[in-house]
Amino acid sequence: MNYRTLVSRNFSRGRLRTVLTAASIMLSIFLACAVLTLPSGLAALVERVTSGSRVLVHNKAGLSYMMPYSYLQKVRAVPGVTAATSFSWFGGIYDEPKNLFPNFAIDADAVGDIWAEFQIDPQAIADFRRYRDGALVGYQTMRKFRWKIGDRVTLRSTIWPVDLDFRIVGVLPEPHGNPMWFLFSRTYMEEALRAKGLSADFAGMIWVRVDDPANVGTVMRRIDDLFRNSDAETASETEKSFFESFMSSLSGLSNVILAVGFLVAAAVVVITANTCSMAIRERAPEIAILKALGFRRFTILGLLLTETLTLALGSGVIGAVAAYGVLKLLAALGATGARPGLGPLSMFLVTPWHVLEGILLSLVVGVVAGVVPSWGAARKPVAEALREVF
Amino acid sequence: MIRLLNVSRHFQRGPDVVRALDHVTLTIPDGRFAALMGPSGSGKSTLLNLLSGIDRPDEGEVEVAGRRLTGLSEDELAAWRARHVGLVFQFYNLIPVLSARENVELPLLLTDLRGPERRRRAEVALEVVGLVQERFDQLPGTLSGGEQQRVAIARAIVTDPDLIVADEPTGDLDAQSADAVLALLSELNREFHKAIVLVTHDLRALRWVDEVHHLDKGRLLAGDEALRASETLEQALGTARRHAKVKP
Repeated sequence: MNYRTLVSRNFSRGRLRTVLTAASIMLSIFLACAVLTLPSGLAALVERVTSGSRVLVHNKAGLSYMMPYSYLQKVRAVPGVTAATSFSWFGGIYDEPKNLFPNFAIDADAVGDIWAEFQIDPQAIADFRRYRDGALVGYQTMRKFRWKIGDRVTLRSTIWPVDLDFRIVGVLPEPHGNPMWFLFSRTYMEEALRAKGLSADFAGMIWVRVDDPANVGTVMRRIDDLFRNSDAETASETEKSFFESFMSSLSGLSNVILAVGFLVAAAVVVITANTCSMAIRERAPEIAILKALGFRRFTILGLLLTETLTLALGSGVIGAVAAYGVLKLLAALGATGARPGLGPLSMFLVTPWHVLEGILLSLVVGVVAGVVPSWGAARKPVAEALREVF
Repeated sequence: MIRLLNVSRHFQRGPDVVRALDHVTLTIPDGRFAALMGPSGSGKSTLLNLLSGIDRPDEGEVEVAGRRLTGLSEDELAAWRARHVGLVFQFYNLIPVLSARENVELPLLLTDLRGPERRRRAEVALEVVGLVQERFDQLPGTLSGGEQQRVAIARAIVTDPDLIVADEPTGDLDAQSADAVLALLSELNREFHKAIVLVTHDLRALRWVDEVHHLDKGRLLAGDEALRASETLEQALGTARRHAKVKP
């Protein structure tokens, strides 16, 4: 029998309470580790979908304002631009309104150059150029609707009074292709709109490939200078800054989730402190006896704190490692495409550093929850402790 | 030698000051088996706490086995108790999640002894108090009251203390177990020359102890008062014996 025996035996009393306390700490550490992945996950997501040599040009007044389609040719003529395409939102839905996903009309000749790192099958690019109704579809969208190359699908626009039939000629393949996009030829949309008496002389945005990432700043300046004082002035930005500004709208939500996560952890500290306090109070007679036998205050404090810390640390390690494993599993499941909704989770990985932070947090939970009741019990003079319990 | 000189202990209870002990002077020579008797609230347990180093007096001096306890800090008193005092309580107060052997080993954690030696000494102590070996690994909850009190006594003697103090050790036991516990304490006193101070209401204890000290309202009775208290006890004991004899 030694001090370790004494500590471990104390876990066997009130097993249900021990298990429930451990579970609450475990879950809170799991949650804390999961929310800790948010900032790095969002940054990784931006990093993954962006290229250093791609630029996005849009109306300076905002994304919902169009630009004349003629801008595309002027942009293509800017020194340093190797390829450019218009990029216009079609707002098409498949079958029913809930099946809304990002679909855009682009210039078919530029797709292979603008998104070279997507590594689209050359045959698919060739077919995309050949068939005016051809479509290139992101791998997750393909899986979601169980489409395959050669299938014909109809999208009903929610902003134009047209339905368009497409033949799927290729996939934006994983891991580098955009998983959700549905790209089709602008010419095809233009014909449909003209048939309805509508003008198609617009471009929602223009994607530009620059010859060298070092020239991106110069090219953006040249493009914006080109359209300065026109009816539709442009604002160019790098793909990364575009997505970052888009993600910044999510960062507020991310901060709220982080705050909620840590509030949950704080609530667990209070609950654990209450549980420890009750457990120590129930053992007041035993603690009084230990003191009477000659155990000093710091020995008793050490014993009680060791119990709390062991419980918190053990639960914290399990919670942190579980977060590591579960998020990795979800990411793997997302990557298989079996669950398209899990796809973005591949960016939200719990790193060993997050695991360490989770474990440290569990230590803090143990100290904060244990120190007050333990010290309260340990510092009480033995005579007073005995009088209170006998 | 236990020496209390003009010792007082007061407690604040709300607006009132309770004089639990009022200028008590007492000497108990080495190796004696002494009993402290008196009505509830007379100050017996307070006196026991003072001479075992659990509590400190507000006034006066306490000296046990040549060590002056007055003025020692809480931690110094704890260290002194661990080495010099064995404690036995009315309700045994064993740790319920530890076996009988582990409960007895508990005070030895405060020594420099290694694990196997601690275990050996605990087993010797349990044998001395007469607990059967099959019970050594059982939890207190599975032992009878008498057996639990034997384990508590083994815990009190395992560090080989100079003084054993017992607060109502028979208070929660049946007559047979109470007799056995008193006999055991007496044997420890005779065979191992341990000074024992017992707080009790149990008249059976009078058959075993060397001396009785009477307390009333925080005062140690002396002279005629002490004599009258002893006579009253003797009469009560005689009545109890006669009553026991006529029982079937």
